[in-house]
Amino acid sequence: MKNMLVLAGSLLLLGLFLSSTYTLPEHQQAILVELGKVRGTPVTDAGLHMKLPIIQDVRYFEKRLLQWDGERVEIPTLDKKFIWVDTSARWRIKDALVFYRSVRDVNNAMMRMGTILDGIVKDTVSRYRLLETVRNTNDIFEDIKKNKKEAELLLQVDASDTTLEEISSDVDKIETGREKLSQLIAEQAHKDLQNFGIEIVDVQIRSVAYKEVVEEKVYNRMISERMKIADKIRSSGQGERAKILGQLDLALKKVESEAYRKSQEIRGKAESESIDIFAQALQSDTEFYSFMKTLDTYKSTLGKKTSMILSTDNAFLDLLNKGP
Amino acid sequence: MSEPTGKSFEQIMQDLNKMMGNLGKKSSGGTSSSEPESNNRLQMMLLILCVGVYAGISSFYKVEPSQQGVITRFGAYYGVAEEGPHFILPFGIDQVYKIEVTRIHELQFGFRAESTLSDDRARQESLMLTGDLNVAKVEWILQYKIHDARKFLFNALNVEKNIRDSSIAVMRRVVGDKLVSDVLTTDRVSIAQRAKTLTQETIDHYDMGILITKVSLQNVTPPDKVQPAFNEINIAKQEKEQLINQALGHYNKIMPEAQGKADRVLSEAEAYAVDVVNRSKGDAEKFRQMLVAYHKSPSLTRKRMYLETMSEVMSRMEHFTIVDAKIKGILPVWSGSDSATTAAAAKAATMEKDGEDKAASSATISSSK
Repeated sequence: MKNMLVLAGSLLLLGLFLSSTYTLPEHQQAILVELGKVRGTPVTDAGLHMKLPIIQDVRYFEKRLLQWDGERVEIPTLDKKFIWVDTSARWRIKDALVFYRSVRDVNNAMMRMGTILDGIVKDTVSRYRLLETVRNTNDIFEDIKKNKKEAELLLQVDASDTTLEEISSDVDKIETGREKLSQLIAEQAHKDLQNFGIEIVDVQIRSVAYKEVVEEKVYNRMISERMKIADKIRSSGQGERAKILGQLDLALKKVESEAYRKSQEIRGKAESESIDIFAQALQSDTEFYSFMKTLDTYKSTLGKKTSMILSTDNAFLDLLNKGP
Repeated sequence: MSEPTGKSFEQIMQDLNKMMGNLGKKSSGGTSSSEPESNNRLQMMLLILCVGVYAGISSFYKVEPSQQGVITRFGAYYGVAEEGPHFILPFGIDQVYKIEVTRIHELQFGFRAESTLSDDRARQESLMLTGDLNVAKVEWILQYKIHDARKFLFNALNVEKNIRDSSIAVMRRVVGDKLVSDVLTTDRVSIAQRAKTLTQETIDHYDMGILITKVSLQNVTPPDKVQPAFNEINIAKQEKEQLINQALGHYNKIMPEAQGKADRVLSEAEAYAVDVVNRSKGDAEKFRQMLVAYHKSPSLTRKRMYLETMSEVMSRMEHFTIVDAKIKGILPVWSGSDSATTAAAAKAATMEKDGEDKAASSATISSSK
C-alpha cells in the first residue's frame, strides 16, 4: 500500500513538473493562455521554459520569415494601360499577442493581408505611369546613346542597319521606378498591418504583364517596327549597291580619261620632238626644202582626174610658146 | 557474467536475480526480501537496461562530409557539428538537423525540364517587359547552396519560394532597364551577372544562409508571335549582303577590263610616238643627205627635179587646158584631149567630170609671172 502511494505520488509530481515546463523550438515563439485569457508577453527565446501547470496553455507561432503569395491583379496605370501585376511579400509575426488577438492564426492572417495588399498595390500602381513599374533607373538612355553611336559608326563603315528606329517614343524619363514603388507599397502595407502584430519585411513586384488585348497591340507594334527595320536594311542594301556602281563609274571615267591624257601627252611630246628634228635639219636650207616639198606635193595631189588650165606664159610651157 | 557457456537461460536469470536481489538489499538497506519483490526489481532493472541501451544508441550520430549538423537543446539552438561521429543528450533533449551544405540546388524559370508546370504558367514566368515597353521571352536558371545551416533552418519558412520570388522580381527589374534589342543580343551575360548580384543582395536581406552560385540565361527570344518579324530582319540583312556582293562582283569584273583598255591606249600612244620620232629622224636625215648633193650643183638639180616632177604629174593627167596669156577670161579653149574641140564642149566636159567625181582633186595652176 505504502509503495503504491509512493508511486502515485511520484507520478503526480512528474505530471505536475511536466505540465509546468514546455520547450520552445528555435523557429517558434509562444504566448501563454490562462483559462482562455492571454497572460504576460510573448516568449521568443527558444529553450526550456516554466509555466503554471494545468491552468496555463501554450500557443505556438512561427518566428521565421513568412511568405505571402499574391494573385495576379488587373490594374490600369496612370497612362491608361491595362496590366497584370503579380506581387509577393515577406512578413513575420512581430507581436504574437496582438497577432493572436486579432487574426488568431497564419491562414487567417494571409487572407487579411491579401485584401489589404491587393488594395495597396492597386492604389499605388494606378497612380503611376506604366514606365514607372517597368523601369528602375534611367540607365536606358545610356544604352540608347551607345546604340546610336554604334549605329553611326556602322553607317560610316557600311551604312548598315540602324537600331535608332527601334526606340519607340515610349522611352521617357522616370521619376520613381520599380524598386521605389515596391518600397512605397511595403511601407503602406507595414503601416496598415501593424495593428495585426504583423511586420512587412518587403513587397516584391514579381511581374508586370500586359493584358491580353494590350499584348496583342504591343506585338503588332513590335512586328511593324521590325518590318520597318527590315525595309530599311533592304533599302540600305540598294543604296550600297548604287554607291558601289557609282564608284565603278567614277573609277572607269578616271582610268579612261587618265589614259587619254597620258596618251595625248606622249603623242604631243613625240610631235614636238619631231618638229624639233625637222627644224634642225631644215634650218640649213629652207629654200631647198620648200622647193622639194612643193614638188612632192604636186606629185601627191595632182592625179589622173585632175583637170588643169594652164596659161601659155607658164614657165613650164615656155618652150611650147616661144619655140627653142 | 563471465560464467562458462552451456548454462540454461533459467540459470542465468536466477543468477541475475540473486545479484539484483543483493544489490537491492544493499541499496534499499531493507531487511525483508520476499520473492515477488525481487521479481519486480528484475523487471525494473530490465527497463533501465533497455532505456540505457536506447539512450546510448540515440545519443550517437554521424555527420557526413557533405553535411552540417545543427544541434538544438530543449528546442533552442545549441551548436553546429561538422563532419564525423558525435554524441548528444538523449531522450529528445538534444536534436540534430543534418543539412546538405555542399549540394547545389537548381531552380528553373520560364521553363521546367520535368515539365511539372503548365505551359501557361511557364509563359507568364518568361514573358517580361523591356525598358522600351516591348516584350521579351527570357528563360533562366539559378543555382544556390546553403552556406549557413543554422540561418537556413531557423530564419525563414519558405526559403525556396523566397529565392524564386526574388529571382523573378530581380530579373524583371534588370530586363526592365534594357532595350529589347540589347536583351535579345548583346546584354545576355551582363544581365545574368547583374541579376545574380541583385538577387543575392535581396535574399541577404532575408538572412536565410543562402549563397547564389550561378544565374544564367537560357533561351532569350522574342515572343512567339513576333519571332517571324525578327527573322525578317535577318533575311533582310542577308539580302543586303547579297546585293553588296553582287555589286562588288560587277565592279571587280568591269574594272580590270577598263584598266586593260587604258593600258592599250597608252601603248598605242607610245607606239605612235616612236613611229613619229623615227620617221622624222629618217626624213630629216634624208633631207640632209640630199642637201649635201644639191649644194654641189643647185640650179641644175632644181631644173631636173622640176621637170621630172612635171613629167610625172602631167603624164598622169587625162586632160588639161592651155589658155593663151593674152586672152582674158577662159573663152577660146584648146583642149589637150581629143574628145572635145570647142571651149564650150571643154567646159561642159570639165563640169561633167566634176559632177562625176567630186572627190577628185581639181587644181588650176595659173602662171603669175
